[in-house]
Amino acid sequence: MAERFKVKLVTPTGVVFEGEARQVVAVGPLGEFGVLAEHINFITSLLPGVLRIERPDGPVESWVISGGLTEVKDGAMTVLANSAQTPDSIDRGQAAAEEREADQKISAMSFYDPEYPAAEEALLLARARSQAASATAAR
Amino acid sequence: MASLKAIRRRIASVKSTQQITRAMKLIAAARLRRAQEALIAARPYSEALARVADSLLNAQGIDLAPAQNAEKKALVAVIAADRGLCGGYNTNIIRAGEEVLHSLQDDGFDVAFYAVGKKAVDHYRRTEAPIAVESINNAPRLATIGLARTIAARMLADFQSGAISQASIVYTQFKSALTQKPVCEQLLPVQTIEKKPDDTAAPLDYLIEPSPAELVPVVVKSYLEASIFHALLEAEASEYGAKMTAMDSATNNAFEMINALTLEMNRARQAQITKELMDIVGGAEALRG
Repeated sequence: MAERFKVKLVTPTGVVFEGEARQVVAVGPLGEFGVLAEHINFITSLLPGVLRIERPDGPVESWVISGGLTEVKDGAMTVLANSAQTPDSIDRGQAAAEEREADQKISAMSFYDPEYPAAEEALLLARARSQAASATAAR
Repeated sequence: MASLKAIRRRIASVKSTQQITRAMKLIAAARLRRAQEALIAARPYSEALARVADSLLNAQGIDLAPAQNAEKKALVAVIAADRGLCGGYNTNIIRAGEEVLHSLQDDGFDVAFYAVGKKAVDHYRRTEAPIAVESINNAPRLATIGLARTIAARMLADFQSGAISQASIVYTQFKSALTQKPVCEQLLPVQTIEKKPDDTAAPLDYLIEPSPAELVPVVVKSYLEASIFHALLEAEASEYGAKMTAMDSATNNAFEMINALTLEMNRARQAQITKELMDIVGGAEALRG
């Protein structure tokens, strides 16, 4: 059985990653999911969160993506991210402040507010950024 | 004939204008290169997205109709520049916008404009056309994902609420630095998938999460954003292409004008010298006589 598969991470500003992976972990609307080789053909949307690509030879690369789509077709995976950022480019203190701000904003809002989904998305992104930044700092 | 001094002054003035146009041409060339790179960098995303949208909508056969009892209104985004001095760029795009306006009006649509760029906003204010949204001062870059997302969000919200039943974008397609073509693209209702008659192959089996009904809007939104972003990139490249060409010909014109003025100046100088010589010779003759 094949143990590796092709992955491509693209954003509107260019191809961020193209290569092989052993496993890809991302956050979808139903929760975190992993993709291994020989995955069934699959389409899902992605929530703002951390995308991890485990390379066949060990190292794990990760990006904070702000939502998007992904497709697995004939064993090759394409991630269409609205934007992708490497965790080391995120300032930890600033990300934590953004998370608090987004949290405050959403707790003051009604669930039926038309702005609610956007605020929720902003909070998810801020949280992912802050977590990714702390994870990098801990390493 | 103008005086020697006046001609000299004009040459100096044309020279400094030429310096400015030459600098503007170089800046436009640098920005054009950057815009073209961005245009190329965006291609893999649009291609991959088109493929995903294709698989999903083919597998599902979902039609994206406007909201029921939507009003017969259209929102037309017109992408122009904030600044002039770029040849016929703004005139052409605004004229294309007017054509779209008339053809939509003939079809019975009420049209409002989403005017991007100061030149478009100024034009519609002057002609008192309905402006739904205006967006100016998109410096230093026009083609940002943020702007694309703002436009897409507005179109999608109006489309879903039934405030509009059609959305289009008028932008300038970049062919080369010398040729740009204004085009109009209908964005909503989505017309992405053209079913080919021989396309009878069984749709690919996909596992779709969370459900097609929930996923289709996400794909449509991304597709809309990507299409608008692409249009903005094309418009940006066209603007700088047009500016570069316009400034290049302005620099050449200034050069020709300097040549012509220099000839005139030389003639004026010679005429003056001749006149002075005649005066001296005349004076000397008078003294001798």
